Amino acid sequence: MHRVKLSLYAAALTVLISGLWWGASALSAKERSGSSGIPPEKVAAYVYAVIKADRTLYTTEIVNRLQAKGVTTASEHWEQENALMLPAQFLQHSGKLAAESGSGIRYRLIGLWPIYQRNAPASDLERNALESLRKNPDLPVTGIVTSGLKQYFQAIYPDLAVSQACIDCHNGHQLSPKRDFKLNDVMGGIAITIPLE
Amino acid sequence: MNPAQPPSRSETRWGLQLKLILSMLLVGVVPLLLGLGLAFWQGSREIQVVSGESFKALAEETARKVDLLMSDEIGRTSRIAADPSIVHELEQRRDALLDMTEDARRRAVDTIKSGWEAKDPAAVQAITGNKMAGLLQEYFAGAKSEADQLIPQVVRSATKMLYITDIEGNLVAALTTLPPLTNGETAWWKGAFHHGVGQLFIEDVHFDERAQAYVISISLPIMDRIRYGAVGVLHRVIDAKELISPSLAPIRFGKTGHVMLIDHRGIVMSCPILPTGVRVSDPQLIPLITPLHPGWVSAPSDGHGGQSTSIIGFAPVPETSRATNSDLDKSSWHTFVWQASDELFAPIRHFLTWMAVFSLVAVGLMTSLGYLAANRIVMPVRRLQAAAQLIGRGEFRQPIDIQTGDELQDLADEFNRMNRQLEAAFAGLTDQVAVKTQQVESLIHSTDQILDAVPTPIIMVNQAEQVQYINRVGRDSFQAILDSTQSIPLFDILPVDAAAREHLRKEFRRARSGEDVATASGAEDAAVVNRARDPLAPMMGTAEASNRQEIQIGPRRYHYQWFHMAGRNKGEDRIGLVFRDTTDDSRLQDQLIQAEKSGSLGTLTAGIGHELNNPLFGILGLGEAIGEEANLDRVRSYAHDIVQHGRRMAAIIRDFTGVAARETSDHRQPVHLERELDQAIATVTGNMDASGVAIQRTYAGDTCVLALPDQLRQAFTNLLMNAIQAMEGRGTLRLSTSLTDISVETRIADSGPGIPKQHLSKLFDPFFTTKGQGEGSGLGLTVARRIIKKFGGDIRIESQEGSGTSCIVTLPVIPLLPPP
Repeated sequence: MHRVKLSLYAAALTVLISGLWWGASALSAKERSGSSGIPPEKVAAYVYAVIKADRTLYTTEIVNRLQAKGVTTASEHWEQENALMLPAQFLQHSGKLAAESGSGIRYRLIGLWPIYQRNAPASDLERNALESLRKNPDLPVTGIVTSGLKQYFQAIYPDLAVSQACIDCHNGHQLSPKRDFKLNDVMGGIAITIPLE
Repeated sequence: MNPAQPPSRSETRWGLQLKLILSMLLVGVVPLLLGLGLAFWQGSREIQVVSGESFKALAEETARKVDLLMSDEIGRTSRIAADPSIVHELEQRRDALLDMTEDARRRAVDTIKSGWEAKDPAAVQAITGNKMAGLLQEYFAGAKSEADQLIPQVVRSATKMLYITDIEGNLVAALTTLPPLTNGETAWWKGAFHHGVGQLFIEDVHFDERAQAYVISISLPIMDRIRYGAVGVLHRVIDAKELISPSLAPIRFGKTGHVMLIDHRGIVMSCPILPTGVRVSDPQLIPLITPLHPGWVSAPSDGHGGQSTSIIGFAPVPETSRATNSDLDKSSWHTFVWQASDELFAPIRHFLTWMAVFSLVAVGLMTSLGYLAANRIVMPVRRLQAAAQLIGRGEFRQPIDIQTGDELQDLADEFNRMNRQLEAAFAGLTDQVAVKTQQVESLIHSTDQILDAVPTPIIMVNQAEQVQYINRVGRDSFQAILDSTQSIPLFDILPVDAAAREHLRKEFRRARSGEDVATASGAEDAAVVNRARDPLAPMMGTAEASNRQEIQIGPRRYHYQWFHMAGRNKGEDRIGLVFRDTTDDSRLQDQLIQAEKSGSLGTLTAGIGHELNNPLFGILGLGEAIGEEANLDRVRSYAHDIVQHGRRMAAIIRDFTGVAARETSDHRQPVHLERELDQAIATVTGNMDASGVAIQRTYAGDTCVLALPDQLRQAFTNLLMNAIQAMEGRGTLRLSTSLTDISVETRIADSGPGIPKQHLSKLFDPFFTTKGQGEGSGLGLTVARRIIKKFGGDIRIESQEGSGTSCIVTLPVIPLLPPP
């Protein structure tokens, strides 16, 4: 049931995001064709706002609420344990779905102390951004990155320990390299990547 | 109280002991068995639960271990995939490919492919000798890795193939020549490349033709430098068993307990027992043990070919399963923890075996202790039993000595007390019995003597008509010899005819049933025996109606009588038969009657002769005197006297021939009693010498009765004559009359010697007299009474020997006559 709901939710989110992206690309097309367009910083900001809203909603209204009522819990192995996925997993999975949609938008959680190595910063920009965000969480880091001939806009927003579930998992996980997170610490960042073509 | 036979006694004795032992055994063994059974059941259950939980925990732990192992391998592999040089190379290749036309790309691929498959050195060199291949080699060999990132030797040897493809799935770098050139259509490539998004893809175990082994594979997308999209795929093929078994094989417990790794299809990836690549033996087991949560199950088979109930713990490998076939739903890996149930339940079986052994020991102990205990209980009981038997036989002498300090001792004391009392009672009883026996014996003896002395035969008959006793007279009479061992039928002794026998039988049966045989019907029956009798005839006198019956046996006649004897002590009732020989009796009576008759005749004759002789001699003397007398006056006087004598004789004859019929006239008339009495006195004194008799008269008056005067006078004369004769001419004669309303009583009392008692009853018998020959006819009183009775009166005699006799005449009175 949870999976179905979550899938539906993720699908809705994807539609929303892709709609946004379509709008953005339309605008950018317009900008290119005309002269006006939305700068990628703004697009990233929009996307981040949606992602953040969704994740906050999921965290507070679903996970925290159901846990408080004792209905169910959130767990990393939610499939096996018939539980809710962790908010971080929610974001990662929705990012995966967004990527699989083929729209070109990518977003993922990255951190300097990831439980799984795949979530480590992939580039210098990401690494520097995370370092920067640790010191200055209020300022997202943006930049243009290239992959071969391709150019992408990347914005990295801080990701805070918004709920106890985040801290519990990261401080308690066997593979976690850092185990002294506190509530509202900057645990990592949300990296949003938008192709610039 | 029958003394028990030895075998039965021994059975009884053993039975009590056996019962006691069996009871103790039952009391001990049943709870023991119950406890053992419950312990086994509960133990088995708990072992199941405990083992199941342990197995589950172990399966979870192992699953985590496998997860870590796989994470490590993925981590190591991903470091290769994240190598900036490789990423850079592939980015360039991607950009180059994107710039090429479709045809150019196909051609280039075809060229390389043909060269690769032909093992063309140039082609091979192009792939295995390029920069990326070199990097692969360095990573693989560990030259480029940090110390903690070295690929362990085990994993290295397990790695069968390691190669990189571009964005079209074509081989761009490889360690060996084994990998195929094009991989774009394979599941792992599609899964890992994932339309450019890229994701981890782990293949389930399968047989790889090129590696000639059961392998799993890890396929990692090689992302571009900003991890935006996949620029290639790193594919690593690993021998499943070689990779996993070092982690699982050491986990052994007991002899058979182990852990194995299977996938969702039930295919074994690593197992210390089963080879990799086979499916677990029981397909029905697979859904039980491959849910997506850890647990344990009591399954009907063990998955290793055994069909015994097995406890199986299982757990999914959580993180790795997410990547298998790219999705948890498509495939998952599971650990499987199992131990042979033989071994699993060995502790409880051992426990049970030991318990059984201990139980046997316990049962043995219980039996022996039970035997001892039973013996302790039974021995005193046996002694009591023996004592009871001895008491029963009266041979008990020694008091029982049982010192158990419990109820048995009390019982023994009671026995002793009872025995003492019994002895005391018996001692008195024995004396009493001796005395009584003596009494009974003497009684029997005297009874026998009495019975033998009884002059009449007595026979005792039992219910079956068998003679049981016959007294001496009976034996003599019926010539019976009674043997004590042999009883004789009654009718063998009594030789009677058939009719009499039948009649006796009838009476016997009636007597046997306790009825009185001497009933009217019995009398009637007796009469039937004696003589035919008219039923309409009036009843006989009381003597005739007596219950005596008569029977003729041989020449003798008997009266007999039945009597019933109730048997003693529920013994048989007996019927007695008493006989009285009446043969002599009747003869004697006949003789008596005859003698009486003869005697009476003689007396009568003598009386008549005497009575007639006196006047006759008077007449004769007067006749002679007349003949010699000359004096006529005297002659006349003599003649007158002769007439007187003649008249007297006539009167005597008249008396004899019929006292009542003598009166010519039968007409009764009123008579003055006193006058007739006086006349009678005058007659008597005239005839007899009564000079010495003083006569005193006390008359009530002139009493009148209705009678014939002559006869009345006659009756008085007779009475007065008796009185004067009794006084022998001297004494006092008292005459008195007394009057009541209806009768007059005349008393004539003499002062004679009185009448002996034995004669009183015979006074009125005809011809009975105490006078000498010729002194009296013996008819006086008879005649007097007949006369008085004729006039409605009666005579009775009161006499006391030595003080005179009174004769009382009672007559009815009539009113006084007018004076004549």
